[in-house]
Amino acid sequence: MELQLGLALPTPNMLKGFDLNNHGLDQLKEMGGLEAWNKAAGCFADKDCVKSKRSFEQAFGNFTEECRTKPLLLWSGQPNEEEDHKDQKKATFSTTDENDAEEDDQVVGWPPIKTWRKKIFQQQQQPRVGRAENNRVAENENGRSIYVKVKMEGVAITRKIDIKVYHSYQSLTNSLITMFTKDKKCNEDDYILTYQDKEGDWLIAGDIPWQNFVRSVQRMEIVKNWG
Amino acid sequence: MQKKTAYSFPDEILEHVFSFIHSGKDRNAASVVCKSWYEIERWCRRKIFVGNCYAVSPTMVIRRFPDIRSIELKGKPHFADFNLVPDGWGGYVLPWISEMAGAYPWLEEIRLKRMVVTDESLELVAKSFTNLQVLVLFSCEGFSTDGLAAIAASCKNLRELDLRDSEVDDLSGHWLNHFPDTYTSLVSLNISCLGSDDVSFSALERLVGRCPNLRRLLLNREVPLDKIANLLSRAPQLIEFGTGTYAAELRSDVYSNLAEAFCNCKELKCLSGFWDAVPAYLPVIYSVCSRLTSLNLSYAPIQNPDLTKLVSQCPSLQRMLVLDYIEDSGLEVLASSCKDLQELRVFPSDPFGEEPNVSLTEKGLVAVSSGCPKLQSVLYFCRQMSNAALVTIAQNCPNFTRFRLCLLDPKIADYRTLQPLDVGFGAIVEHCKDLRRLSLSGLLTDRVFEYIGMHAKKLEMLSVAFAGESDLALHHVLSGCESLRKLEIMNCPFGDKALLANAAKLETMRSLWMSSCSVSLGACKMLGQKMPRLNIEVMDEKGPPDSRAESDPVDKLYIYRSVAGPRFDMPPFVWTMDEDFASELS
Repeated sequence: MELQLGLALPTPNMLKGFDLNNHGLDQLKEMGGLEAWNKAAGCFADKDCVKSKRSFEQAFGNFTEECRTKPLLLWSGQPNEEEDHKDQKKATFSTTDENDAEEDDQVVGWPPIKTWRKKIFQQQQQPRVGRAENNRVAENENGRSIYVKVKMEGVAITRKIDIKVYHSYQSLTNSLITMFTKDKKCNEDDYILTYQDKEGDWLIAGDIPWQNFVRSVQRMEIVKNWG
Repeated sequence: MQKKTAYSFPDEILEHVFSFIHSGKDRNAASVVCKSWYEIERWCRRKIFVGNCYAVSPTMVIRRFPDIRSIELKGKPHFADFNLVPDGWGGYVLPWISEMAGAYPWLEEIRLKRMVVTDESLELVAKSFTNLQVLVLFSCEGFSTDGLAAIAASCKNLRELDLRDSEVDDLSGHWLNHFPDTYTSLVSLNISCLGSDDVSFSALERLVGRCPNLRRLLLNREVPLDKIANLLSRAPQLIEFGTGTYAAELRSDVYSNLAEAFCNCKELKCLSGFWDAVPAYLPVIYSVCSRLTSLNLSYAPIQNPDLTKLVSQCPSLQRMLVLDYIEDSGLEVLASSCKDLQELRVFPSDPFGEEPNVSLTEKGLVAVSSGCPKLQSVLYFCRQMSNAALVTIAQNCPNFTRFRLCLLDPKIADYRTLQPLDVGFGAIVEHCKDLRRLSLSGLLTDRVFEYIGMHAKKLEMLSVAFAGESDLALHHVLSGCESLRKLEIMNCPFGDKALLANAAKLETMRSLWMSSCSVSLGACKMLGQKMPRLNIEVMDEKGPPDSRAESDPVDKLYIYRSVAGPRFDMPPFVWTMDEDFASELS
């Protein structure tokens, strides 16, 4: 791509050896740029004045048109093919990417969620996926939620439920049926509910008392009943 | 003696006329008509908005406007909300407060956004402005409950204290006790951001009980659910209420007390809070639902069907904030129930999860766009989008003023065609002629920027991330978007050319933010030299710019117009590219 230099100012590649003291300024004075802008200094004190087209014209008269057609660099309007872009690393977003050393392996600033909102998510969602240590504190305070992942065989979406909301296996399974039949029409008898306990073993839900189940469940999976 | 012409009024008449002009823009326009109007206007301006606290100095403001009663100041750039601006960058309010303390003793309202507010500043506010009525600290930081105590103790006329989204150091819960017993003027109190030790509940109860004009009360998370009923019964005149934690063991007495308390709040229109909400207690607000115009459930982990059931009972909703637990199915219900909906924000419940945990797609947004004719403002986080959906949405809602779409994978293509989302966003800017704010995401080439430059003539704020292929994209925006005030860009392959070619444009805007792009140090220096009314700030935590080559890209670049010149309160990792800097280094 061709770049015309309207003011004989250097491109970034040519900065070495450029004398900043006189060359550029002469060109600018020719254009009248800085002078006209200086006149408008009083106007600039008020930010909206600058933006307003009326006041711009007031300050510069016919100058405005000229001003717009002689920027620091003239743009020829072609896509940029210069080599500095070839070498450019395009940051790719991926949760496994280690480009940025953030604690979550995430790109800083993405997704654009305010910090305090992120904290709420982190506090509310403590998916206990096969972790040996459990956060007992979460259980005892005021009925605070305990979130557990639930996956159903054949369904892409993994859901999280708050196990504290339920008081029995029946209420849990009723809710899960409601939740998952939206995703997959099925006969509830064809499926059984399994869970992974603190030791990492997968067991069938229903054998131990409810309260014990709540204390030991790490995650759940609804699988087809082959038996 | 010169005869006054027919159209020159005595100053008093002009002043009286100006007293009916409240909008800052209109006043600014009036002030440049002629010198005498400028003089009259500046003496009678009472309210001022400074969108960038570094664009002008407090001295200059005071010199021009001798009698201000209400000031609004904004500090850090918007991307500070997402941790892109390192701590210590700036935005200190103390210099403003110090100067205004002497100049504006009758100051009534202070509104600050993204500024660093210290206890010292708050103590100075308390001491200097005895007539203070409104103090809003929006997304501010740097102060503790000690500063709040000073405000509570001294500001007898305080009506509104709003700490929304601010970070407050909790030192003591007893700051509320500093409101004297004689203090009864509270109208609005937002303490939702405070931590566990920050609120003495009994002091709060007493305060609420003695302020008959209290209309807005937003509590913090630590206020337990079983205390709400009592509090509400002392303030049945509330219009807006934010609960604390909305979880507790189900108890019939707590339940019925709550239901009764809500039922007695006949003017309640806005609800928020609902931290940790459990479905069991949701029905207590059913009596209020039909009147609700604003509902913020974005901290509530409630899922369907409870969530949808709640929403379906709120036909008067104008503003809805919710987590993506609402799913497409819930949004369809919203679309059919809430015909007055103007604003929708859907936040992700699991933004960092690898797999989707909810069934929320573009379909939900399409449904709402189709069912809610008054929809104007959207913030939507989801995981997939298509051009077809965006085109439909654009055609359904030509009245959009704010459209922010955030695809969690920022470079994801149209999931149906695998094409970039250029055409979809193009449709948005083409159909929505009043669009003032736009946030892009997804796979986007230079084309979308061509559409934006061509159509988005009223666009004032544009947020871009991981988009575009070349400087041409940036050039389209800078040369085409006539109303552009704020442009923020992260992780885009934009370099020097578009920036330098459109340098003049930058003086017509409030600010430009570019981080993780390809703008070279040399270009920054050049801009700093040639554009004296722009502050060119380069941020780099790795070390001073002079240790690097001219062609090296800068990490973060913040450019803003200013008549105050370069600032002097910069931390070590911020360098200003003014004339002195450039000549020192060459």
